[in-house]
Amino acid sequence: MQNAPRDPSTTGAAVSVGLSLLAALAFMGLATLTGETSWAGRLVGAVWVFLLTAIILMPVIVPRVRARAGRR
Amino acid sequence: MTSRVTLPIEGMSCASCVANVEGALRALPGVRAVRVSLATEHATVDYDPASVDLSAMRRAVEEIGYGLRTATVHLRVTGMSCASCVENVRGALARLPGVLAVSVNLATETARVDYLPGTVQVREMLAAVREVGYGAEEKLEGAAAVDREQEARRREIRRQRLNLLVATPLALLVMLGTFQPYGVLSRIVPAFLHAKPVLFLLTTPLVAGPGAQFFAHSFAGLRRGVTDMNLLYATGIGAAYLIAVVNTFWPQAGFGGPQATFYEAAALLTWFILLGRYLEAVTRGRASEAIRRLMRLQPRRARVVRDGREVEVSVEEVEVGDVLVVRPGEQIPVDGVVLDGYSAVDQSMITGESLPVEKQPGDEVIGGTLNRTGSFTFRATRVGRDTALAQIIRLVEEAQTSKAPIQKLADVVAGRFIFWVHVLALATFAFWYFVGYDLWFSPLTRLMLTPYALSGASAVGFAVLVSIAVLVISCPCAVGLATPAAMMAGTGKAAEFGILFKGADAVENLSKVQVVVFDKTGTLTAGVPSVTDVVAAGLPEDELLRLAAAAESRSEHPLGEAVVRAARQRSLALPDPDEFQAVPGRGVVAAVEGRQVLLGNRLLLAERGVPVGELAGRAEELEAQGKTAMFVAVDGRPAGLLAVADTLRETTPVAVRELQRMGIRVAMLTGDNRRTARAIARQLGMDEVLAEVLPADKAAEIARLQSQGFRVAMVGDGINDAPALARADVGIAMGAGTDVAKETGHVVLVKDDLLDVVAAVQIARATMGLVRQNLFWAFAYNTAAIPLAFGILYPVLRQIVSPELAAVLMATSSLSVTLNTQRMRGYVPPVRRRYRTAAPAPLPATPTPAPAGR
Repeated sequence: MQNAPRDPSTTGAAVSVGLSLLAALAFMGLATLTGETSWAGRLVGAVWVFLLTAIILMPVIVPRVRARAGRR
Repeated sequence: MTSRVTLPIEGMSCASCVANVEGALRALPGVRAVRVSLATEHATVDYDPASVDLSAMRRAVEEIGYGLRTATVHLRVTGMSCASCVENVRGALARLPGVLAVSVNLATETARVDYLPGTVQVREMLAAVREVGYGAEEKLEGAAAVDREQEARRREIRRQRLNLLVATPLALLVMLGTFQPYGVLSRIVPAFLHAKPVLFLLTTPLVAGPGAQFFAHSFAGLRRGVTDMNLLYATGIGAAYLIAVVNTFWPQAGFGGPQATFYEAAALLTWFILLGRYLEAVTRGRASEAIRRLMRLQPRRARVVRDGREVEVSVEEVEVGDVLVVRPGEQIPVDGVVLDGYSAVDQSMITGESLPVEKQPGDEVIGGTLNRTGSFTFRATRVGRDTALAQIIRLVEEAQTSKAPIQKLADVVAGRFIFWVHVLALATFAFWYFVGYDLWFSPLTRLMLTPYALSGASAVGFAVLVSIAVLVISCPCAVGLATPAAMMAGTGKAAEFGILFKGADAVENLSKVQVVVFDKTGTLTAGVPSVTDVVAAGLPEDELLRLAAAAESRSEHPLGEAVVRAARQRSLALPDPDEFQAVPGRGVVAAVEGRQVLLGNRLLLAERGVPVGELAGRAEELEAQGKTAMFVAVDGRPAGLLAVADTLRETTPVAVRELQRMGIRVAMLTGDNRRTARAIARQLGMDEVLAEVLPADKAAEIARLQSQGFRVAMVGDGINDAPALARADVGIAMGAGTDVAKETGHVVLVKDDLLDVVAAVQIARATMGLVRQNLFWAFAYNTAAIPLAFGILYPVLRQIVSPELAAVLMATSSLSVTLNTQRMRGYVPPVRRRYRTAAPAPLPATPTPAPAGR
């Protein structure tokens, strides 16, 4: 069975979300190492980092993925 | 990847043309195969889009002397709110195969697309715009367009007003509730309003109602990988609201402690952004007022004479050749020529002339102008899209859709801004969370404009608050409107005075012009020469003039016509010449009543062996006065001189003086001999004379001035001076009358008035001044406030910028742009203020030489 081709925008969004999650996890790790005690604080910070990173990455990554799909 | 495109080629006539086009296209890197058909006039090109684009193909075809048949469509795009939206729409359209150029204007909410017909369809363009989250439809023309546009603008203003009306009482209650314990409010505001659950109940509908548009738009954009200002708003409002909710239900979470609420931040942020949106909608509506005013001039009904009876029909049904009747107080429906009757017509709405113009049989009338006094009939000469009014509307629309270089730069800056603002917000958060909080945080910390201390703020709460302030304060939401709103106001104002800019770049270039070059004949002068002196030598004056006029009576040269006119004015009877010969560049030779008459320049007489003798000295005197001297010889003996001069236009000296007063060098370009040209230039106080220039060399003279580093404007007749007008940085075509679209040049003056050249420069300078001020207001607040929002003063002041203060600054920037642009509404160019009611103070009719040579 052959898979239907995936929408490049969705792929781009998925890549952006993945990278943003990594950034949020990195924040969590760094915050834990630097002594932030409150879990709620760490969680809110991670959510904020995730949100800003996703907003930064999506407009950069989605058009590139779309352009690459168009060239193929 | 290989793509295929079919290019419609213009100008091919034979097989070698086919080979030329094929060769030019094949030479482009990335082009894999080309097939050109002469029969269909198409070139089918297989190419790699990564290596070559349509613009390169177009250039390649045009460079070898052929053209691409292109079409233009105007789309109405709704839902754009900032420069990023402009970039998103432009990108979506530009990516379509077959699209050559795209210009998107936020202020007019239009996109102009140049494309290859047959390669891409308008419906595909509409789909592409809708795909990135905006509304799109093809722009209509005429009365239907006015109605549709007005309705759409009214709807948008109504929508934003309603949002504001819903938001205002809620935001006010939230403010009163937040500040209830302080000052006089504790006595007049009920205490329950200060309760966090009440504030939650008041703020939630505000954010979820009028504020929902920002979240919906951001989400739709993000899904397609595009961002705009809505995202900044949504992030700011959403974060402030979430912090407030967390503080309400989990006060110990570390976002400022039990005292801090932040509902007022979310509410005021929403309110100020809504206020900005409302102001922008109003500005957009007002800025396009000029176009709407012109469109409203288009009459809807006409009274046509059919089968001897007057029939009232829709103006769309009027055809060229129809005879129409116009009564006093009625609008003239289409362009035409008066057949019968007499009236005075108010043409101010088209030409800017303040006084009504008298019309009699044979005179042209312009559709859309107002008949004042009498009734008349006229024959329609131009209808529909061809009328002067329709052409003017198209020109003004084109100008308003185009972009000045300064605007392109502003769009690029604003387009990148959102990305960098979010990067800055992330960096701000990281800095204050990991470094700044531990170093400087104090329990006495306050948010500017809020009553409570943030004693309980944790590192994360504090860092999030600072980064929200950065997000909101950096948002250059007024940038998108700053330049187009000013350009629209400026070009619209110019149209009121009969000055039509063909593009925003013409406005920008004219504002920087350093040299204005005037063509002489027909521009500085009226272009109708007349005899000023008759110097007889051996014959009575009238006899000399009679013989000369008889010799010239078959001539069509302006000098000859001037001589004949002068004789007729003296009621001299002119016999037909027995023989007549025009000698190009010399004059005429004729036989009149058996006498041989020579009339022309020195060369003519010298070649025929006639000495000019004492007349030479007198001729030099006349030439020194700026007149053209013509020698007359009868039967081989010198008989006298005729001096002919063109008269300067009434406004010429004032226009030259005004331009010089504005610091502009003024030059004259003419084919006349140097001596006479200098004489006129001296009279006018001109800075430079470019004399003895053949028509074909005028463009080269302009290029020479440009090579000296000057920005040059050329003023001339749009047809004869076309190459020079095109070569100049700004070509100004004068006296276009009713056929403005045919004129070359970047600026078209409807009237024959040189003061309009001065007015055009003044309007261009005022418009560019407005653009610069608007850009200043749009960027200044944000740029100055970013360090403040980042918390640069926090270690000293222990205060950080509250989200609501950031919103105030943001709204102030929108308000400044809106109010500043409105100043153009009452603008009158100083030269028009000075000479508004009548022509300038009477000036002596200064003679200038008639066109030299024959």
